[in-house]
Amino acid sequence: MIELLNVNKTFNGNVKAVDSLNLVIPNGEIFGFLGPNGAGKTTTIKIITGILNADSGSVKVNGIDIKEEPLEVKRSIGFVPDTPNMFLRLKGIEYLNFMADMYDVSTADRKERLQYLAERFGMTDVLYDRIQSYSHGMRQKIVIMGVLIHNPSVWIMDEPMTGLDPKSSFILKEMMREHADKGNTVFFSTHVLDVAEKVCDRVAIIDKGRILFNGTIEEMKEHFNRNESLEKMFLELTDSEK
Amino acid sequence: MKNKTLNLAMILLKNGSGLGLKGSSTATKVMMIVLFAIAIPSMMGGVGAFTVFLIEPLMKIGQQGLVLTWGIGITSAAIFVFGIFYIISTFYFASDVEYLLPLPLKPRQIVGAKFLVVTVFEYIFAAMIFIPIWITYGIRISMGPLYYIYGLILLLLMPIMPLALASLLSMIIMRFTNLKRHKDAFKIIGGLLAMFLGIGINLMMQNMSMNLSPEKLSKLLQQGQNSLIGALPSIFPTAGWAGQALVHSGSLKGLMYFAICIGFSVAVFAGLLALGQLIYLKGVVGLSETGSRRHGHGLQGIDKGVEKGSVISTYTLVELKLLFRTPIYFLNCVIINFLWPVFLLFPFLVRNEEVDMLTEISNAINQSDAGGIILAAFFGLALFVSGSNGIAASAISREGQELYVKKYLPMSYKDQLIAKLLSALTLSYVGIVSMVIVGIVLFKIPVTTGVLVLLTGWLPVLFMCLSGLLIDLYNPKLDWDNEQKAVKQNINVLYSIIIGMGLAAASVIPAVAFKWSITVTLLILCSAFLALDILLYNVLKTVGVRRFGNIDC
Ligand SMILES: Nc1ncnc2c1ncn2[C@@H]1O[C@H](COP(=O)(O)OP(=O)(O)OP(=O)(O)O)[C@@H](O)[C@H]1O
Ligand SMILES: [Mg+2]
Repeated sequence: MIELLNVNKTFNGNVKAVDSLNLVIPNGEIFGFLGPNGAGKTTTIKIITGILNADSGSVKVNGIDIKEEPLEVKRSIGFVPDTPNMFLRLKGIEYLNFMADMYDVSTADRKERLQYLAERFGMTDVLYDRIQSYSHGMRQKIVIMGVLIHNPSVWIMDEPMTGLDPKSSFILKEMMREHADKGNTVFFSTHVLDVAEKVCDRVAIIDKGRILFNGTIEEMKEHFNRNESLEKMFLELTDSEK
Repeated sequence: MKNKTLNLAMILLKNGSGLGLKGSSTATKVMMIVLFAIAIPSMMGGVGAFTVFLIEPLMKIGQQGLVLTWGIGITSAAIFVFGIFYIISTFYFASDVEYLLPLPLKPRQIVGAKFLVVTVFEYIFAAMIFIPIWITYGIRISMGPLYYIYGLILLLLMPIMPLALASLLSMIIMRFTNLKRHKDAFKIIGGLLAMFLGIGINLMMQNMSMNLSPEKLSKLLQQGQNSLIGALPSIFPTAGWAGQALVHSGSLKGLMYFAICIGFSVAVFAGLLALGQLIYLKGVVGLSETGSRRHGHGLQGIDKGVEKGSVISTYTLVELKLLFRTPIYFLNCVIINFLWPVFLLFPFLVRNEEVDMLTEISNAINQSDAGGIILAAFFGLALFVSGSNGIAASAISREGQELYVKKYLPMSYKDQLIAKLLSALTLSYVGIVSMVIVGIVLFKIPVTTGVLVLLTGWLPVLFMCLSGLLIDLYNPKLDWDNEQKAVKQNINVLYSIIIGMGLAAASVIPAVAFKWSITVTLLILCSAFLALDILLYNVLKTVGVRRFGNIDC
């Protein structure tokens, strides 16, 4: 579970990227974070994962405040950033091993998960190549594998589907479902409405750093008449603020 | 055409020379300026003092002009060393190459512009070493105004010869190592090959031309009047000519040598442009590809290298792996530790049955009262080497745009900084070990002194790593698009070098001036650096860690 209470973040003294944000992401559901470009999705995610410090407000993950126990919180989170371009000079296997060490995964566990994940994402053949030689989608997959290898209870993903082929994207969605069904937290951002509609149990819509809607897909549909397409609702949502 | 080259050079200078002060606070800027104001003069003062120390005995035998030739030779060697990394990085690995290639520019214009950019950067080094020697000599020998005018122009020309040689080697080697797969490996091999060839050629030429017969030598010595300058060989002939021009600046002979220097430099530059026109493109095209193997390892293959390790050691190892595998980092940060000892020997590696400089020096070293100076000199070298490798001073900058990754890892910032420190410490310490080996084998320093250096040398090295890391934490250069900018065009590395040189001078000068014994030197330097290390470590643990957490990314 993730709880954001009155979180604010301003860049360079004038760009208000996150504005008095309140959000609770419960366990057992896939939570989608929707919004147009520059809405503040990445900034919010960076605050939850400890990359950015919020100017004010509090962030709790599984009941623990990130300011008080940052390492404890980080250990429970698996994070997939929006640009998978890190550690390019490492081999895929070295990266996964690095992540496993960082998150304290035993040798036996990592071997087992590695085999399973490599097979499932079709990455077995390239594990011993440098990440530099991977395509965008392959890089995305290695980062996702790096998260899954330490089996965190909270998954946070910033636009995880971009660049994945349909098969990998399907596998990821399947895994998100399984993870949520086990009572864990799955939180991801997207601006593809189609994805949100198909995958999410609950969504929040953010624009200009403020939450405009927060509820289940059904509530959202009800809220904007059953027949209207999500896209139109979305446009309406973001426009109504002006 | 000339204009296009110059224009391009100006643009490249403006675009690439952002040393990273832009975003920093006024306090940081002021601190840095103060640092410069203290470190540079003290470094130059050290060189000046050393010049005085050398010049007196030489004046007795009428060979004081050797100081100038040596000075120019050492400056040229230093420029060559720094230059060869810099040239390879700028000519071949800079990301601007990809933008320049599609433009309607001739290869020689690109080469010319990039060469000029590197030349301008090398003036910093040329000035720091040459100016104190030049001025000290001028004052001591009471030279006329022409001496100073020649000197200034010769200073401006000084980088051309060594940089041209560096470019020549780089271009030829990159032309022939530009193979399709394993790009990184070949970049590294190419860079190494160029450097070793450079050293090899230098040694060979020195050996060949130093074969003076004893009769001839003693005749030259008796002649006095700087007769040795002409006989002192170098891979950079300009060093000898420039020395002649300065020593005889009052006479026609000086003017003649001065003209030769200018003519030669112009010819070398023109030759380089012509060569660039011919082979530059063939070396540069397609450099950004990476090879991959794609052999199916199968499921059983995954067992390889997946054992659990401790967090700090894993992190340190990854830091080291990235340093070794990124060609620019490898050439600038790793290799330099192994090579500095060799490069510093350049001027001394002149062997000959009759005049064996090494033996002369080792005799001087083995005088009973020189122990303190040797130890201080090793501390000085350690400071200089660990400062100039820039590993600690670019430890944060090297993360670049991916720094955020380090923020979400469940590893405390303090442990991460310690791991970064460890990687820098390890590589720098290797530099000391290689220096000690060179010292024992070639200069015959007492083995006990060598062991003492190995036991205590980590103290100054740790200081350089701590101070470098702190500097980089305060003003990291994260906004780069190619790795070269993180290590080469990073002002933090320059600060680190300057601090290293300043402290080296501060360690060596009192040891020489007060003729400290080895015990006294050991006690004073070790306790001073231990205290500094403890102080800086505490700063890193508190302020540094906080700063790391606050870097926006
Ligand atoms: N490092 C930064 N410095 C200054 N402003 C920033 C920084 N990062 C983000 N911003 C600003 O904060 C606002 C929110 O950006 P954010 O990256 O959170 O948007 P986003 O919802 O993730 O958009 P996208 O869908 O394009 O990824 C934008 O106005 C952006 O310009
Ligand atoms: Mg985003």
